[in-house]
Amino acid sequence: MPDEVRTLLALALVFAPLSLLSIGGGAALLAEIEHQSVSVHAWTTQREFADLFAISRAAPGPGTMLSARLWGRWRGSLWHSVVERGLAPIASGLILAGGVAVMRVSPGGPAVWVAAALSTALILFRPSFHPLVLFIGGGVVFGLAGILGVW
Amino acid sequence: MPRSETIGLPALFAAFFRLGVMSFGGGTAGWLHREIVERRCWISDREFLSGAALGRLVPGSGGVNLTVQVGQHLRGGAGALVAVLGLLSGPLAIVLALAVVYTTIGQNHLLHAVLDGVAAAAIGLTFATGLKLLQFKARSAGPLAITFATVVCIGVLRWPMIPVVLCLAPVSICVALLDRRGANA
Repeated sequence: MPDEVRTLLALALVFAPLSLLSIGGGAALLAEIEHQSVSVHAWTTQREFADLFAISRAAPGPGTMLSARLWGRWRGSLWHSVVERGLAPIASGLILAGGVAVMRVSPGGPAVWVAAALSTALILFRPSFHPLVLFIGGGVVFGLAGILGVW
Repeated sequence: MPRSETIGLPALFAAFFRLGVMSFGGGTAGWLHREIVERRCWISDREFLSGAALGRLVPGSGGVNLTVQVGQHLRGGAGALVAVLGLLSGPLAIVLALAVVYTTIGQNHLLHAVLDGVAAAAIGLTFATGLKLLQFKARSAGPLAITFATVVCIGVLRWPMIPVVLCLAPVSICVALLDRRGANA
């Protein structure tokens, strides 16, 4: 079997089962995708993974979570609400673990951690803030630091 | 509200294409609500919420699942297919183009610096999403312990996700069942 076919097959075998367990949507898979791509299969380096994560999050696309104002408005049947309340803590844990995984892999180190903490606080306390502005802001600040030689 | 027969497949494609390329930061369901429920009035608030609830329970991306249901509701199987193609084609083209540009430029100090900044913002968005979910859905000790266990097993210990989820999900559902306070809330 040619190497390329083998790689494509491996990609499908790794990702298909994951999507079946993606409680909370794509963001919940982040930690596992990082683990498989960087550590297990060496499909990307740490630097490439961090960069591709940035690119794919900044690009538009169908994401996963309901916006905050829509959460909790739906009252379903009892089993429905029990299953959903049972899965929500796991979904939350998977998403937070994804954030931890990308932070670990990012070659940016402590400066990226601090900026990530600031942007977390900003989104939590200013929910109307457009994510695109945040992405551009982060890119501009670090880009300027790079030009000035401090980054 | 317009009758669903009056919504043509091209209009459906166009609406979801627009939705796809506008969905920055991943909150597709939120954008979908604004675009399809509030602006175009194609489905009612109630239909949207029950669809969103189901879309979160079945596996896969919640935004894509919701799109399938809305498309199906408006124009049947063809509607579901057209809506999903509309939703995915724009973002797929954009992210592929950006990935090609990235590999072409290659290793460049300034590019890495800019992307570090974007990554920091995106990590923040990820954490905020997880924390918001916690705030809305898991406010008592049992669910918080489950969330903590998930973060430790997968984020810190790097255990494989599938067995961890398969072990924790039944436990967590039992906790939810026993959590009377939450059930009555």
